[in-house]
Amino acid sequence: MKRRFLLPSLAILGLLFFQGTTKTIPVSENLHVEEADMPANVKAVVDQKCYGCHNAASKNEKGKAKLDWDAFEASKRAKQLATKGKILEVLESGDMPPKKFLENKPEGKLSEAELATLMDWSKSKKK
Amino acid sequence: MSPRVYMFAGFALLLIGVQVVPNELPALELANQGDIAMSGIVSEEIGTILRTSCYSCHSNETSYPWYSYVAPSSWLVAKDVREGREALNFSQWQDYDLMEKLEKLDDIAIEVGEATMPMEIYTLMHPSAKLDASQRERIVAWAEEAMDKVLEEEEETDETVDEGM
Repeated sequence: MKRRFLLPSLAILGLLFFQGTTKTIPVSENLHVEEADMPANVKAVVDQKCYGCHNAASKNEKGKAKLDWDAFEASKRAKQLATKGKILEVLESGDMPPKKFLENKPEGKLSEAELATLMDWSKSKKK
Repeated sequence: MSPRVYMFAGFALLLIGVQVVPNELPALELANQGDIAMSGIVSEEIGTILRTSCYSCHSNETSYPWYSYVAPSSWLVAKDVREGREALNFSQWQDYDLMEKLEKLDDIAIEVGEATMPMEIYTLMHPSAKLDASQRERIVAWAEEAMDKVLEEEEETDETVDEGM
């Protein structure tokens, strides 16, 4: 008899738990859910190697004006594709990260694998 | 003769001399089948603005003024038209692939929105090419809408191809 109630009670408990947790997710993490559209491996490279200069609060005005990842996430698909095309061009020419930046921060250089990840993604028409 | 006369004569000789330096102006072609005007994404109003303010450098239909045949200004005109066509050529719009079209429309929206285009040196010589604030807004809005349209059209074509296979 006890077992008959055990499974449904666990299921209800589980449901309540998940409902509870989604409700308590802060706003910033909610944004991450939307960002999940970008492949995790791409996002990891972007966060580590690009986001520092290319974000909405960046002090690097030129970098922010050229590409703002926060705005990119929120923009329409056509705009995202256009941006991806431009990202590909910059990666192909080897202009990013800038040489001057790398003089002070050599660890910011993209490894071959990271470069390939970004280039494959920027070539694709998906998000 | 005074030194001033010598200087003037020297300058005149130099000016005549530079005329023989070879300079090739990019070719003028009026019949362009792949022009953006034929693509269906340009209204008559937008087409007229593009024609007046952009086509001289960004199409094969450059209207060369007299000073484009006189060195040294001819060098600058040739360089600007060559680079302008390379970056964006409305006469060859249909040759661009989807990504190129989107990039170019995005650049139009950015550069016209930020008033870096048309170039100041160009509007100085061609005041009629100057864009006012409302024309700029219309071009930016058009370019942004055209990006969606170009993408939709491409996806519709892809779907038709997929269904046909």
